[in-house]
Amino acid sequence: MAILAIEDLTKRFGDVLAVDGLSFKVAPGEIFGFLGGNGAGKTTTLRMVLDIIRPTSGRLEIAGSTPNRRNAQAIGFLPEERGLYGNMSAIDTIIYFGRLKGLEPAAARAYGLELLERFGLADRAKAKIGEMSKGMAQKVQLATALVNRPHLLLLDEPFSGLDPVNQGLLEEEILRASREGAAVVFSTHVMQHAERLCDRLLLLRRGKKRFEGTLDEARALLPSRIQAVAKESIAGVPGISRATRCEPLAEGWSLYQLQLEAGRSSAQLLEHCTTHGVPLRRFEESRASLHDVFVRLVGDEEIER
Amino acid sequence: MNGILLVARREFRQIVAMKSFWLTLLLLPVAFALGPLLATQFEDDEATRVIILDRSQGDTAQAVRARFELEDDRAVLADLSRHVRRYSLEAADPSALWAQHDRWYGEEDVAAFRRAGGLPAALAAIEREQLPDTPKFDLPTPSYAFIDAPSPLDGAPDSEIDEQAQAVLGSEDEESGADLVVLVGSAYPQQPVVRVFANDQPRPSFLTNLQDVLTRDLRAQIMVSEGLAPQTAEAVQTIVPAIAVITPPPGGGAREAVLVRSIVPLALSYILMMALLLSGSWMLQSSVEERSNKLLESLLACIRPEELMYGKLIGTLAVGLSMLLVWLLCAAAAIFWTQGEVEQFIRPALAPVSSPGIVLAIVYFFLAGYVSVSIIFLAIGAISKSMSEAQGFLMPVLLAILLPITILLQAIIAGNDGIIVQVLTWVPLWTPFAVLARLGSGIATWELVGAGTLLAAFIVAQFVLLGRLFRASLLAQGQKPSLRVLYERMRSSN
Repeated sequence: MAILAIEDLTKRFGDVLAVDGLSFKVAPGEIFGFLGGNGAGKTTTLRMVLDIIRPTSGRLEIAGSTPNRRNAQAIGFLPEERGLYGNMSAIDTIIYFGRLKGLEPAAARAYGLELLERFGLADRAKAKIGEMSKGMAQKVQLATALVNRPHLLLLDEPFSGLDPVNQGLLEEEILRASREGAAVVFSTHVMQHAERLCDRLLLLRRGKKRFEGTLDEARALLPSRIQAVAKESIAGVPGISRATRCEPLAEGWSLYQLQLEAGRSSAQLLEHCTTHGVPLRRFEESRASLHDVFVRLVGDEEIER
Repeated sequence: MNGILLVARREFRQIVAMKSFWLTLLLLPVAFALGPLLATQFEDDEATRVIILDRSQGDTAQAVRARFELEDDRAVLADLSRHVRRYSLEAADPSALWAQHDRWYGEEDVAAFRRAGGLPAALAAIEREQLPDTPKFDLPTPSYAFIDAPSPLDGAPDSEIDEQAQAVLGSEDEESGADLVVLVGSAYPQQPVVRVFANDQPRPSFLTNLQDVLTRDLRAQIMVSEGLAPQTAEAVQTIVPAIAVITPPPGGGAREAVLVRSIVPLALSYILMMALLLSGSWMLQSSVEERSNKLLESLLACIRPEELMYGKLIGTLAVGLSMLLVWLLCAAAAIFWTQGEVEQFIRPALAPVSSPGIVLAIVYFFLAGYVSVSIIFLAIGAISKSMSEAQGFLMPVLLAILLPITILLQAIIAGNDGIIVQVLTWVPLWTPFAVLARLGSGIATWELVGAGTLLAAFIVAQFVLLGRLFRASLLAQGQKPSLRVLYERMRSSN
């Protein structure tokens, strides 16, 4: 059973349609990337999952029931804009959030200390947040999201503002949560993180879903780029819609950029060339990156906005 | 419920951890304790030192001194009478002058008091009657002390008298320095001129008494010169009507009684105002901090906005009640410590607030007032991104609350129960303050119930409207919201 199921979810703010008929499901142990430009509706969707704001229409289920206080205790959340009480100590902050999520103080303290140990902050457990560096405070905030060992971990732009070391630590925690059976949903602009971590992805544009599937499926949305060193006869091979001569080489050879017709694969093209004696000195296929897919589906203007 | 209490506890602990909390908490009792002490320090309790230089060879100086001694004894007798009446000590000697309160003590009365042994005899009689915890009689300080003229002034020729008198007035010497020098010239009474040297304007009471003594003397001399026997002339001067003065016992007069009965209710109203302003501003500070520190989204992922709001309200209420408790304990300690006079004063002051119904009304209006105003502070905290922005919303609200309350408290102290007090009683924002302040002077039961019901309805409306505003504003972005935006947020139930 999906831990998070969203069906035809819509949210309007006055005349603005922030989320438009969104549907998707996330299974336990799955890492789900929530990709989209600024204002695409990612944060609004996460806030609806957290029951901070109510949907205009649509259905939203967490572990089979609508968002409520009980299932909120099974959620861990790291917001994009982060902050904690400056005059509280690290461990007191973790215990406070743990207790708000229904934990007993002793259990919250024990796991809070374990998390601080894991994040290299064991010796700063009693230090006040206001006395810590920004990086340390962000680790404490991550600990507040994990203290209840959530079944659903929601991370809103989790990598923004983190240095490479802390980005690595966060990636490790995402993978750990997934290994322990938690569903992880995170929104991001950084495609490398999504490529490295996500089992499945969802691309949003202006509140509407543009794509949902695995990374391979996403990359397959765009045709592969094929580079070949061949002679002029390559342009007449069936299945090639366009052969662009990029660089002339010696003895009639040239570097070509090939574009396939819809439904044709690079393997079919290579097979045809070898069986029909079409001369080739180099045949190289490069698949579309997630960044390319993102730019194509979401658009440059979304990134810049 | 658990989330509400957790938020309340955190809120309470954060405020209590502030230095300003402890400073403010202790400031009020310390101010009340230091006030009387400082007043005592600044009080002018030294007698005015007077030199009478009589060069007329008559007995004018002696007559002036005798008159002021009589005034001092009259003051002692009057104060003693008031003391006896306050503590019901008449049984010590019902026939004594100090046991008869309905008069202005005349010269004959003072003379009789002296003949009966004066203050020592009176105190001895009273001591036999009074209870062990009855406060001691506080002897009034004599207004004037007559000292002998120092030799340079005493022996100065007429031409140097002014200079010597000024020297005496300017002297810091405790033995020879004086505040007033009265010069009765050698030509007196043929030239009925008496000169008074002083650095400051002498008190009217001094001049009045001095003039009275000299006038009597002059009149007696004229009457004698006109053939009247000296005894007759003296008798004419001393004929005065007896003046009966009828007053309620101390603390029992209509105006005084209302004031005494209103002390505790007024203090409650004032304390409500103080505690609200202080804890409200701390709560506001913490709300703005949560917003500016970008904490709200993390919190709202764990608890509902309503739980956050109730938790903050309960936390602030707990802070206010703790402050009240500490102040009441300090007051109780002060009463216990000072016993006597304060206790005697407090007993009638507590009378109007000692019935169970009134105690219930006090608790209700105090808590309702606290919640009603705190929720306004909370809403301001939710719509403000910074303290400076919060101040912009806060100032008009504070003025709207405080100005009428200041007028109200003054009206109650003045015994005024007019239209302003009535209006303030029925406007929910001011109802708690008005009702609490009026409990001493008397408020009809129907007014109490009506205003209380209206206040309850107002608080429900506040919870609905300001609750919506709170929820809608928590994660709102952008510029400072306009009144129109605030209105729309209050209307929206999402």
